[in-house]
Amino acid sequence: MGLLSILKKLRSNPDKELRLLLLGLDNAGKTTLLKQLASEDVNHVTPTAGFNIKSVLSSGFKLNVWDIGGQRKIRPYWRNYFENTDILIYVVDCSDHQRLEETSLELAELLQDEKLRGVALLVYANKQDLATGKLSCSLLVVHIQDIQTHSLAPA
Amino acid sequence: MIVFNLWAVLQWYLRPFIKWFLRKTTRLCELQRICYGDKPGTSRTCNVEKSLMLSRTRDVKEIICYLDGIVQERRFVPQNFADIIEPSINIIMRVKKINPKLHGSFILSFRRCLQQIWSYKSLIENIEELRRTQFDSNNIQHEEKLLKLWDLLVPDEPLESRVTKQWQHIGFQGDDPKTDFRGMGLLGLENLLFFATEYSQVSRHVFSHSLHPRYGYVFAIVGINLTSMAYYLLKDGSAKTFMFNARQYLPSVNLFHRFYCYLFYEFDKMWIESKPQDIMEFSIIFKKFENAIRMELADPATVFRINIEVDTV
Repeated sequence: MGLLSILKKLRSNPDKELRLLLLGLDNAGKTTLLKQLASEDVNHVTPTAGFNIKSVLSSGFKLNVWDIGGQRKIRPYWRNYFENTDILIYVVDCSDHQRLEETSLELAELLQDEKLRGVALLVYANKQDLATGKLSCSLLVVHIQDIQTHSLAPA
Repeated sequence: MIVFNLWAVLQWYLRPFIKWFLRKTTRLCELQRICYGDKPGTSRTCNVEKSLMLSRTRDVKEIICYLDGIVQERRFVPQNFADIIEPSINIIMRVKKINPKLHGSFILSFRRCLQQIWSYKSLIENIEELRRTQFDSNNIQHEEKLLKLWDLLVPDEPLESRVTKQWQHIGFQGDDPKTDFRGMGLLGLENLLFFATEYSQVSRHVFSHSLHPRYGYVFAIVGINLTSMAYYLLKDGSAKTFMFNARQYLPSVNLFHRFYCYLFYEFDKMWIESKPQDIMEFSIIFKKFENAIRMELADPATVFRINIEVDTV
């Protein structure tokens, strides 16, 4: 998996804690991903008002995972959590065709932020297993290529 | 840890001797001592439950299995109580050699305990079923409930369409609330609807707080998170204090809804009093709130009143 190789590259000091930031639109699956990382039950997830944070030990890495709510009202607060981030995981709901454009616009905006310069980015194409998820996964790639040509892609 | 284990082992072996000794000196069995000695409500019912669960008497174990089976079949409802509970009480009276003529008040209080203990177990099953039922926008009943919630909270403003930005006004995340119920399923909606229906004044009051320009929050999403909290408190047994101390009611889905309404009202109060800077403080205040509620529930003497007063200012 891509995440592990990024983690390995980033770990110059074995004791260093890494800060992971999970962003994406509401209902993308950020909290489920967080709970999965922490090996917790994922069947009782509720929408995130505010944020969740967990410290996770995974493959010898100490990860501080920040999961910030994705609804429109909360998005303006995302930037308060950018500082000291090592990895940004941007979660996309591939089955949500209608908001594919909205999610890529949000991502494009994130990539232009000074504070995120040099931060490793993983775009997590979630829910591909749903019947409606496959197609938009390839659409997503097109959108992201679009972002890369139009804006600066750090890292 | 070792000391604790040792104590548990000792207790396991000593319990029969202590019980035998007390039985000989007081001439009452443990169930009687609890029913006569403990205050009615949580402390009595929880102690009766503990005593029954620890019992090594074959007949008592069989009764527990039988009642658990009834709960699984969803037949533990008040209409069936006479057929289910009375025979169980008679068996226990016989096994424990209790004279029904002398101990009429024991029967009364023991019956109440049995009703409470197994109604609670039955409630867990019912709530689990509601939670597992996903909100389905093709289901007319589900849709009607959602629309009713809107009408109750915002009676003066009709919905322009089923999918609309207006839903964000009552604190859903996007244009369609259907994806917001998630792991709490229909239970989240039923809870909100009960709050808006049965406590219409209070819920509108709380809802108006959620629209506060400085201390506002997302009403529906906070509500769904409170559903999750109420659900966990029910599952781990903490909610027994609330349920068993409610004198007029037995644990039921409606009583669970009332528990939820109590939590919502109290959370709103704590939120406003905390003067939060923005919604990002939610996680911290929510955790603080949960700890405070758990503290209250840990004391079996706590009686929760829902006669909520609404200030008219």
